[in-house]
Amino acid sequence: MALIHLTIVTPQGEFYDDDAQRVVVRTTGGDVAILPHHIDYSASLGQGEARVTDAAGNVRKAHVEGGILHVAADKAQIITQSFEWAEG
Amino acid sequence: MAGASMKDIKLRIRSVESTMQITKAMQLVASSKLRGARARMEASRPYMKVARHAIWDIALHNTGAESHYVTRREVKHRCYIVIAGDRGLAGSYNANMFKRIEWDSRDANWVVIPIGRKARDYYARQGVPIITEIEKVEGLTLEKCGEIAQQVLDAYDEGVYEEIVLAYTSFVSVLTQRTKLKPLLPLDAHDAPERTNRQMLCEPGADALLKGFLPQYLAGLIYAAACDAFASEQAARRVAMDSATKNAGEMIEDLSLRYNRARQSSITQELTEIVAGAEH
Repeated sequence: MALIHLTIVTPQGEFYDDDAQRVVVRTTGGDVAILPHHIDYSASLGQGEARVTDAAGNVRKAHVEGGILHVAADKAQIITQSFEWAEG
Repeated sequence: MAGASMKDIKLRIRSVESTMQITKAMQLVASSKLRGARARMEASRPYMKVARHAIWDIALHNTGAESHYVTRREVKHRCYIVIAGDRGLAGSYNANMFKRIEWDSRDANWVVIPIGRKARDYYARQGVPIITEIEKVEGLTLEKCGEIAQQVLDAYDEGVYEEIVLAYTSFVSVLTQRTKLKPLLPLDAHDAPERTNRQMLCEPGADALLKGFLPQYLAGLIYAAACDAFASEQAARRVAMDSATKNAGEMIEDLSLRYNRARQSSITQELTEIVAGAEH
């Protein structure tokens, strides 16, 4: 299965740096799903939920606040001010 | 005579001992703060790398080459954001920073945003215009960095300054820290990726995206630099206090030797006097 490399960073630390099947984030224009082989893309993020489907198929939810989503050369990056995984 | 000098030496030993206690305590405090500071610094480094790359990617592929965020203009007015120490007694940590800026700022008019009490006091004394100030580096929050970022960005957009430079001390190792001047705006072309012809989709438009993200990006950089600088300050203080403690130990050893010699010579003298008295 095709995978896309996902990095999630905030100034306080790195939260994800691994391959993923799919990532859904809330941009200022609405929810956007990024799949492998996405074209180069950038969007500003609003406040809301992010869902990451990791390489094994597990879905993890998180809260994201601001920042941008940046996709280039099959690498997705969520660069945000505040990020928190929903599960404990 | 011998008695008086013995007393003097004893007093000196006591005062050196109490100084040594202070330097030892400061060294321990710095070591424990350094541990936390290093962890925060290391956590902030990935953001710096990833965010810088992304912002360049967006700026290069979507804005015209004439955008004032990427093009250097002749610098007549420069704004330094200077991160120095909250306290002294950290070797040459603060002095090195001030010297570096003095050297760097010769070619333009400049103003300063000091972060840290030592920086504020220094520039207030020197009479350099201070735009805004933050008293403490320790515990600096991302929100506070955001306020500064917004302020310099607004001034930059209005054309008040042609360059914004972030000055801080970067932690290399416990024994080595390096002063760094990092141009914030215009974006540092030093680590820019190559401009290519590939297309990129931006929502909502590259300019709006940049405008929305830049304040956050700058805030993140200032925050990361403050974490770096704070770790450097603690490391510098730890080393300085370590050598001060060692010096105090040596002084005490030396003084004890002199004290014992003085004691011995006074005993010898007394004995000589008694023996001389008995012979008569």
